Amino acid sequence: MNPSRKNKPSTWQYILIGVFLFYMFVPIVSTYIFSVATRWDRTILPEGYTLNYYTQAFKASYFISSLKNSFILSIATVLVGLIIIVPTVYWVHVRVPYTKPLLDVLMILPFGIPAVVLALALVQVYNFAPLARSPVLLIGAVVIYSMPFMYRPVSNAIQAIDVITLTEAGQSLGANTFQLLRRVIIPNILTGIWSGSLLVFATVFAEFTLTKLIVGARFKTFPMLLVEYTRINGNTAAAFSVISFTIAWLASLLILWVGSKGQASYQKAIGAR
Amino acid sequence: MASIKARNRNKLDLLGVVPFLLFCLAFEIVPIILLIRGSLIDKATKAFTIKHYLALGAPLYINSFWNSIKLSGLTALIGCILGTLIAYAIYRWPSTRVQHALVTLSDVTTNFAGAPLAFAFIVILGMNGVITQFLLRYFNLQLYPKFSIYSFSGLVLAYVYFQIPLMILLVIPAFEGLKKEWFESAQSLGASNFQYWWRIGLPLLMPSIIAGLTLLFANAFGAYATAYTLVESQLSLVTLQIGFMIAGEVRHDPGIGMAMSVVSLILMGLSIGIYQLSARRAKWLVKSSS
Repeated sequence: MNPSRKNKPSTWQYILIGVFLFYMFVPIVSTYIFSVATRWDRTILPEGYTLNYYTQAFKASYFISSLKNSFILSIATVLVGLIIIVPTVYWVHVRVPYTKPLLDVLMILPFGIPAVVLALALVQVYNFAPLARSPVLLIGAVVIYSMPFMYRPVSNAIQAIDVITLTEAGQSLGANTFQLLRRVIIPNILTGIWSGSLLVFATVFAEFTLTKLIVGARFKTFPMLLVEYTRINGNTAAAFSVISFTIAWLASLLILWVGSKGQASYQKAIGAR
Repeated sequence: MASIKARNRNKLDLLGVVPFLLFCLAFEIVPIILLIRGSLIDKATKAFTIKHYLALGAPLYINSFWNSIKLSGLTALIGCILGTLIAYAIYRWPSTRVQHALVTLSDVTTNFAGAPLAFAFIVILGMNGVITQFLLRYFNLQLYPKFSIYSFSGLVLAYVYFQIPLMILLVIPAFEGLKKEWFESAQSLGASNFQYWWRIGLPLLMPSIIAGLTLLFANAFGAYATAYTLVESQLSLVTLQIGFMIAGEVRHDPGIGMAMSVVSLILMGLSIGIYQLSARRAKWLVKSSS
């Protein structure tokens, strides 16, 4: 560990961290500046500033509908994820703890399956109406992909409370499982649920691969519109990228805020990933 | 009596996980099994065949696999080395506030993959990119056509962007697991800083570093959006090829796509398997040391 902790960082530390910050920030900051620069290919700083690209971007066809589609997809995924994961995690912890290894394997599986492979498998199997290439099929795929992000925080939150005692106390007062979940368990793991939901929301909002390959142009989401514009108009694409980055930053800040309010389940979540 | 009742209840309890299992079966497990089966069946005669796998010997597919493995291996290695060094710099930083901020930054940026990130790299390193122009004007350094963001080298830069922070997140807990006493005892026995790291520190970190390396490899191998935005069809990668087959942009036997998928699944399975083993070993080292 920590041989002789000094009060001041050494030069090599400044250099490494400097390179790291440069790498992480230059592409993003440049995109922010590029999105408001009139011309920026002859000088170090842009020659002038404008908000025109944003007005153009807002007027782009599909702008509103693609944002709407992304919101629908993200929120639907969060809801489906919550419905299938929260009760299952609770049940596994309280009633059938010996199935936990199976659950853990199922949560690692999505990391081992490239998104394109899952898309190919789903498109081949569900090639009949009404499922074929439908948003419903997409939601199924995206839920599978984002499952681990929901599972970790929720599972950590459940582990952090004495779920057995709470369950027994509730049962002795005559509550059934549904009442128990709604009145006792969920209020106690709200931090985990919020962290998981925000993580899933942010991940799905940026999702491109599954959406493009399973549904395609009929259900255009925001990332799809962005990719389209990188080939048509750089300035509009920059405005779209900025919107994308901003949503990602906001979601991360919210996750941090929620996490700091709760029992730091967020830290555990990133540690586990 | 009571135990039989309890056992029966336990069996009924299993029903509680059925909805979740059905969901996984429907949207993940069964389709993947059918995909594996489909890769071994001739669509016309319905008979067993390995012709789809033999077809992968064509230069296009060999090239795709070679490019994908080269890209994933190279970016995993760069990400692993730089990520470990930066993680060490963070770990040795005197202020916990700064440490926390840097870890949080890694957590945010490792998720900045895909289209917006790819475009950000076009902004700085495209033909008229900010850095491209800056280098040309002030250092008279002409990047193009030797370097291009729309090529293999461009992809390396973009991939390393999300590989480094991921490695930092994976290896920081391992640094924190190293005990101060170990360094002090090594020092009191006359070991130099270098000797400590070479003989004690690094071997203890090794499982975490290997776990990181394999996870980074899988992470890059499965990536699609960044590559699609930057190179589309100018460079053949496994994921891009499979994508073309789904979109029907190339008229190929879907069996070949399935065979490519199965080979990818095997590669990914191997990496994730090694990752799991090393991660478990790393956890064990940390646990048994405390």
